[in-house]
Amino acid sequence: MNNALLVVLVASGVAYGTPLLFAALGELLAERSGVLNLGVEGMMLVGAVMGFWTVQRVHANTGLTLALAVLVAALAGTTMAAIHAFLVITLRANQIVSGLALTIFAGAAGLSSYLGNDLNVADQPASHSFHALLPSGMQSLPVVGPILFAQNILVYVSWLCVIAVGLYLSRSRPGLNVRAVGESPAAADTMGINVTAYRYAHTLAGGAFAGVAGATITLAITPQWVNGITGGAGWIAIALVIFAFWRPELCLVGAYFFGALQALAPQLQARNINLGPTVLWTNSLPYVMTVLVLVVVSSGTARRRLGAPSALGTAYVREEH
Amino acid sequence: MKRRNLALVTLLLVIAAITLVFAGASSGRTKASTPFKVAWIYVGPHNDGGWSQAHDNGRLYVQKMLGSKVQTTYKENIAVGSQFNQTVASLAAQGYQMIFATSYGYITPAIAAKYPTIKFEQATGTLVSKNVSEYFGRAEDTIFLSGMAAGYASQTGKLGDVLAFPIPEVIRHANAFTLGAQYAHPGATVRVVWTHSWFNPAAEKKAAQGLVAAGVDVLGQNVDSPATGQYAESQSLPWVGYDSDASKFAPKSWLTGSVYNWGLYYLKRVKEAMAGTWKPGFYYGTINDGFTKLAPYGPGVTAADKAKIAAVEKKMENGTFYEFQGPLYDQSGKLRVAKGVKMQVLTGGTNSLYGMNWLVKGVIGSPKG
Amino acid sequence: MRISVEQRLRRPRWLIVAVPIGSVVFAFLVAALVLLATGHNPVSTYHQLFDAAFLQQGSLDQTLIVATPLAFMGLAAAAAFRMKLYNIGAEGQMYLGGIFGAAAGLYLGGRGGPSPFVIAAMVVAGCFGGFLWALIPGILRAFFKTNEILTSLLLNYVAGLLLTYLIFESESYWRQTKGFNASVFPTGKPLPHSAIWPGWTLHVQGGTTIPLGAFFAVLTAIVLWVLYKRTRFGFEAQVLGDSPRAARYAGVRMRRKIVAVMGISGAIAGLGGVSQIGDFSHALDGDPNGIQKIGYGYTGIVVAALGRYNPFAVVVIAFLLGGLENAGNTLQGPSFPAGLVGVIQGIILFSALGGELLTRHRVRITRTRKQLPAAPARAPEPAS
Repeated sequence: MNNALLVVLVASGVAYGTPLLFAALGELLAERSGVLNLGVEGMMLVGAVMGFWTVQRVHANTGLTLALAVLVAALAGTTMAAIHAFLVITLRANQIVSGLALTIFAGAAGLSSYLGNDLNVADQPASHSFHALLPSGMQSLPVVGPILFAQNILVYVSWLCVIAVGLYLSRSRPGLNVRAVGESPAAADTMGINVTAYRYAHTLAGGAFAGVAGATITLAITPQWVNGITGGAGWIAIALVIFAFWRPELCLVGAYFFGALQALAPQLQARNINLGPTVLWTNSLPYVMTVLVLVVVSSGTARRRLGAPSALGTAYVREEH
Repeated sequence: MKRRNLALVTLLLVIAAITLVFAGASSGRTKASTPFKVAWIYVGPHNDGGWSQAHDNGRLYVQKMLGSKVQTTYKENIAVGSQFNQTVASLAAQGYQMIFATSYGYITPAIAAKYPTIKFEQATGTLVSKNVSEYFGRAEDTIFLSGMAAGYASQTGKLGDVLAFPIPEVIRHANAFTLGAQYAHPGATVRVVWTHSWFNPAAEKKAAQGLVAAGVDVLGQNVDSPATGQYAESQSLPWVGYDSDASKFAPKSWLTGSVYNWGLYYLKRVKEAMAGTWKPGFYYGTINDGFTKLAPYGPGVTAADKAKIAAVEKKMENGTFYEFQGPLYDQSGKLRVAKGVKMQVLTGGTNSLYGMNWLVKGVIGSPKG
Repeated sequence: MRISVEQRLRRPRWLIVAVPIGSVVFAFLVAALVLLATGHNPVSTYHQLFDAAFLQQGSLDQTLIVATPLAFMGLAAAAAFRMKLYNIGAEGQMYLGGIFGAAAGLYLGGRGGPSPFVIAAMVVAGCFGGFLWALIPGILRAFFKTNEILTSLLLNYVAGLLLTYLIFESESYWRQTKGFNASVFPTGKPLPHSAIWPGWTLHVQGGTTIPLGAFFAVLTAIVLWVLYKRTRFGFEAQVLGDSPRAARYAGVRMRRKIVAVMGISGAIAGLGGVSQIGDFSHALDGDPNGIQKIGYGYTGIVVAALGRYNPFAVVVIAFLLGGLENAGNTLQGPSFPAGLVGVIQGIILFSALGGELLTRHRVRITRTRKQLPAAPARAPEPAS
């Protein structure tokens, strides 16, 4: 029962979708404040390597070490985001190019590779890693066992984050403020909202989430460090935010959908089921599907109703008189 | 006005200073009487825990054995094509006399002709010329033995193998693994999943998950990361590795793995090059000359199984056992290699080791990827 | 204390040159600090870099090999980015250009020396391949308002899979099937002799070859400059980038322009792809450890940004950055940090981006007056 294809796919979707979810939540926060950060891949990679390094160097009990590692990863991501934030908020540089520069700087040919090699963390299993949290009795319950109860604590934390971000954006004062900042910074400014501070705060928060997303990969999913271990997940996360109409709960659905999509081909292969005319078709499927989803989601009517923050991607200049 | 002039002058001075620094030191430094310079070029990172790392271990062995008589270096993550050519050009400019290129496709006749004084050695390729030599070896022998360990460890006779690309090298290794498993556990089947990458931990884990969900109870691989093993460990299933001893990644699941010992070959060839006796050729190493062996066993291999595997290994060493000897059937049941016929390395078309593009009976999956 | 950024009233000309140069100098200084912090000597490292990029025997040759594709990728990015169309898909468009161009070369080529006819056909085919691949995000953006950044990027992955498929996972037209070697390891069918692009050898550094593609790149830069600065098309495209609303009012056909600009960008990338085949690899390279590992398309974006999307600046910067990439390959090894090239590139880009601001604005640090304690709670006026 629990090895049925659908159950396995959904369970894989949850597991592999978690880094996507964290990264998407972070990017969602940044974009809600009007800052587009394309450097998610780079931030995830730096978070991944620093989180892994912490686990290898700190000698304390498992729980403490892992918690510290996640914290370090979040800080690493925040630091990377700070560069982007400074450039695009204070210096008003082009957000697209700055984000790409961050990906190059921090990415698999840059800082994360530099750190991984200099800190000597390659070719080692993680000293501590996240395992399934709940007892195996619960894990083997039909259907819900593998899908809900066989996951590690980061998955459960991500659910809490979805709820928290959702409540933040819809019910709290700062949350409503940041939405104003993202829609129309000028109007928000005249209302007394400090646009700069909100943009900084949310971009940095985006970095923290991205760092945690990276750590999820090196500490939970494949507990080792290799260069470029995120394998493009950062870009999928950015697409995910659009797919989710900038809503946290839809980020969760989307993340698990993409996670399952990535696990589809190997699962079908193992069962000797031929999905398409060629292996090319099967391998391209996740990307093609993402493009299709983006097209549908971005098409005129849908976009107008539940759309992007209007001021996304533009620098805010307060006019001086 | 004045401020602008000052800024301009400062800028010019800075540029002039930088130019002086670079131009000052000449690029033609005189070299003292030199150790023999030999370089390795890797397609992946030197510490990937897999293919490239095994080569780097060989390099370190050479460095250790020859000490100050050699100067070794490596270049990692070098793409096939113009990046390789660039790397060779820069190594040549720095006086390197021997280059080990550790991937097929690196060395072209053009690049070999451009640097006739450099001795090129290429792994897994087929080009042999005046200054190009090829080397690889019978990993299939030890993979067969590791397949035996896998077969013994399996309760159900259903095994899984995580593979990279559907090319003869990988197909041959997958077949060897299967034949070994069937030798130990008659009637065993091996499910295969292709990750389409030599090194991709996430893809390999997903492949492993698919295989386990499809019912296998032992995992093997012909890819370079230990992700399959980590997953096996989390499911308490036995695991056979590849390329290197990765037992630390899955101490309980680890059975054994086929390991390359490139160092012995490297040492031999470097010494020959230094002594002037180097000749190009096609080297295909065996267990006997130490090219390949089994990594140390994990806790899950019984003493009885170890003895049986050792017995077969002994027969391989003295030539009385060869896993790629007929009768061999393909997946459709057709007889491909007649009884008693031994498959050769290079000759025999699709019935040669280097040309094999079919999977043996008992493999579940497609040889086309 | 507050940092205030005020727009300059005049833009001094010297700044436009000084700032990019200053950014690069600043970047190298920052990178030097990074090197020091990790135990490497910056002066000797930079010396080695420069040496390996331009001075050593054979270095110019190798630098040109990197600079040529970088120039194409930079021009492709500049062509689109300038119009605020963020085509991240140059990498994939390059692959498609290679596929189409190689097909033309394989089909039409034969014996004998390089044939202008065959090469022209390859150029057309390569441009067409890149153009087609860029049409997808272009049309999706123009007609369906889909974000071109993500669609073009995702298509890069698909293009890479296609390239690998053609050589590694199928018996396609591009795959070498003759000869024993072909069955051992998948390789592309080599181009016939008349399809191989010639080069022009200078007697510098013992023989430096300037590939035909390099000439094409310069030509492309000129054509691009003329197109954008001297034609109506270019003018309209520029308006579209600066102010879509103004463009609409002026009657510019938005959707067609978007598709056209993306198409041009893709065609340039495609030309870069066929140049890779004709100049350097002489066969379609589907090895995942081959051209797909290098990432020219992404570096090209850095080149374009540094050159502020000016075609001539892009070519010059492609050459310089090509030297840096070449030097990075030369230097890396047990004693030289991996990833340093990307770090330096990133720092250069950051500095250039930050410096960009200085040409347009002046940064001033002022002390604000202390707030009066009993300020009434109402909407504050814009601070002075």
